[in-house]
Amino acid sequence: MTSIAYPATGLTSPRKRRFTREDRLPVAIGLYVSLFLAIALPLGLMFLWSIADGWPPPHVLPQSYTTARWAGVLGDDGLLRAALNSILIAIVVTFATAVIALPTAWAMARFPFRLKRAVEIFILAPIIIPGIVVAVGIGQVFLALGLAYSVAGVILVQIVGTLPLMIRLMTAALETIPDDLIHAARSLGANTLGIVRHIVLPLAVPGLLAGGLMSFVGSFEEFDKSFIVGAPVVETLPIKLYMYLDPYSMQLPLASIVSFLLLLPALIVFVIAGRVLRDDLMAAGMGKI
Amino acid sequence: MSMLEITDITKDYGASRALHPVSLCVEQGEFVTILGPSGCGKSSLLRIVMGISEQSGGEIRLAGKRIDMLPPERRDIAMVFQSYALFPHMTVEQNLRFGLRMKNVPKAEQQTRIAHALDICTLSGLTSRMPRQLSGGQQQRVALARAIVMQPNLLLFDEPLSNLDAKLRDTLRHELVALHRRIGATSVYVTHDQAEAMAMSDRIVVMNAGRVIEIGTPLELYRSPKQAFTAGFLGQTNLLAVTASGRRAQLPWGQTVDLATEAIGPARISVRPESIGIHPDDPRTRDTGLSAPATVTGVSFMGASALYTVSIGDTLLKVSHAGGDALIEPGRTVALTFPSRLPVLEDRGEDRGREDGGHAAEAA
Repeated sequence: MTSIAYPATGLTSPRKRRFTREDRLPVAIGLYVSLFLAIALPLGLMFLWSIADGWPPPHVLPQSYTTARWAGVLGDDGLLRAALNSILIAIVVTFATAVIALPTAWAMARFPFRLKRAVEIFILAPIIIPGIVVAVGIGQVFLALGLAYSVAGVILVQIVGTLPLMIRLMTAALETIPDDLIHAARSLGANTLGIVRHIVLPLAVPGLLAGGLMSFVGSFEEFDKSFIVGAPVVETLPIKLYMYLDPYSMQLPLASIVSFLLLLPALIVFVIAGRVLRDDLMAAGMGKI
Repeated sequence: MSMLEITDITKDYGASRALHPVSLCVEQGEFVTILGPSGCGKSSLLRIVMGISEQSGGEIRLAGKRIDMLPPERRDIAMVFQSYALFPHMTVEQNLRFGLRMKNVPKAEQQTRIAHALDICTLSGLTSRMPRQLSGGQQQRVALARAIVMQPNLLLFDEPLSNLDAKLRDTLRHELVALHRRIGATSVYVTHDQAEAMAMSDRIVVMNAGRVIEIGTPLELYRSPKQAFTAGFLGQTNLLAVTASGRRAQLPWGQTVDLATEAIGPARISVRPESIGIHPDDPRTRDTGLSAPATVTGVSFMGASALYTVSIGDTLLKVSHAGGDALIEPGRTVALTFPSRLPVLEDRGEDRGREDGGHAAEAA
């Protein structure tokens, strides 16, 4: 073991030992095997289910295959419209969430104030309370305000769900900006706007991106709140897809197709983000969840 | 008219007072150090001058203009922070350019000023590095360069060298002094390091417990301090209670010494360890030395000198002796000689600075 090579000075604890060249292979194998078991295997099985034409228990693989279900779902004109709806809504929700979250996060990160704990719990409340409860409550209000069954209503109700995480992530990102940096910027002649533009926003980028990705995906996949507030007038992709599920027949094949379609945008967004962003930025942001 | 005039600045936190009325004038081109132990209010004062902390009372004028109501960005002051506070997402050059952009300095002038700052801070070649790619000393120089490109009316330093290791600190201290000579910017420098303060400053402001104790040139404060706190904080000293009559005073063990100023009755004096002569007690010095018998009780060899603890009467004295072939062993009897014109302290021993007087050997 390489740990023996380090003198026991008390400075290098065994847990801090670095990986050496010889460790590469086992580590890589371990990581790839976990990746396969956690992601590739379930996805593979899902795909098999989606094209299986019956898959009775003793068989390891389906006996016959069909593409009829895929064709049926993809052939639906409403699907594309619902997908576009979802993308539009997700984009608006993401930006609105960021704009609303920034000042709140700034206050949470920078200023000591009374009842901070209480405010924190209040911010996280939408995560704790089931979406359907929120939706039913808000649905009432929206009906009175005329926001029910409108895209604006769906956007608003989704923001309720995406805000907590965005605020948490941004707060964590902003907390790491030292006070002296702000003071230095001011001493160099930057006013509040200049500080926000040139110092705070650039340094909050990891938090913003992480929060933005989470909001986008969260909005795109959101079902229960959108369903109660928007359906059947506003159709988002999840609402459309959940409607394919038929409780009186075998669920798994259609559910697999629905899962695939819902997974796709999240996957695309993360792959793009992974390409565009530096790894350390991404990790820094996501590490704060 | 002074460049910087601080008049009766106070700072209260609730009911407790962190800064008692502080007044201070700094002349054009002067390098003034505020020296004091941690928690004495020196950094608070600096932050109030910069404007990132608000005073509870008093006023500040810079170049004749009242600035204490202005936000920091309109004060024409630049500051070098203890943590350097470099913008981590900007290159060295962008860091330097930031302030110039904020102040809408024309492009061409930005270029010349940056080039000049890079040059005098010996940073050329590092312009496209990110702060995290720089060593501590380089970061410190970038922070300095970023402040001087602003060509401010006043430069503030908040313990800028305290995060560096001893050797680098020494080098940068010299560079900083040289730099100050070249650009001649009016500077206020905060530190708790008395060696730094003495080496760099035109004048030192000694602070303790939220008050200014004494202001003077390093030489004045070291040679003839007026307060026991100053004497104890700037270097090492022996504080002795004496009975004075005119220019003469009697030490606790009966020996008489010369005073720099006249005093009557009980007084306190400060005697530097290196100003006391120590002589191995042999018959030839017994008559010339004015000393009663003293005994060496401890010795520590410091390299350039040796520091002895000497017991005389009921008093323990610190005596430093440079050179000499051999150390005087503990237990030896020695004769002590005192210099003439010893400074008389103004406070009589009930001063508030005493608890922090650190190095002072109290002789009550």
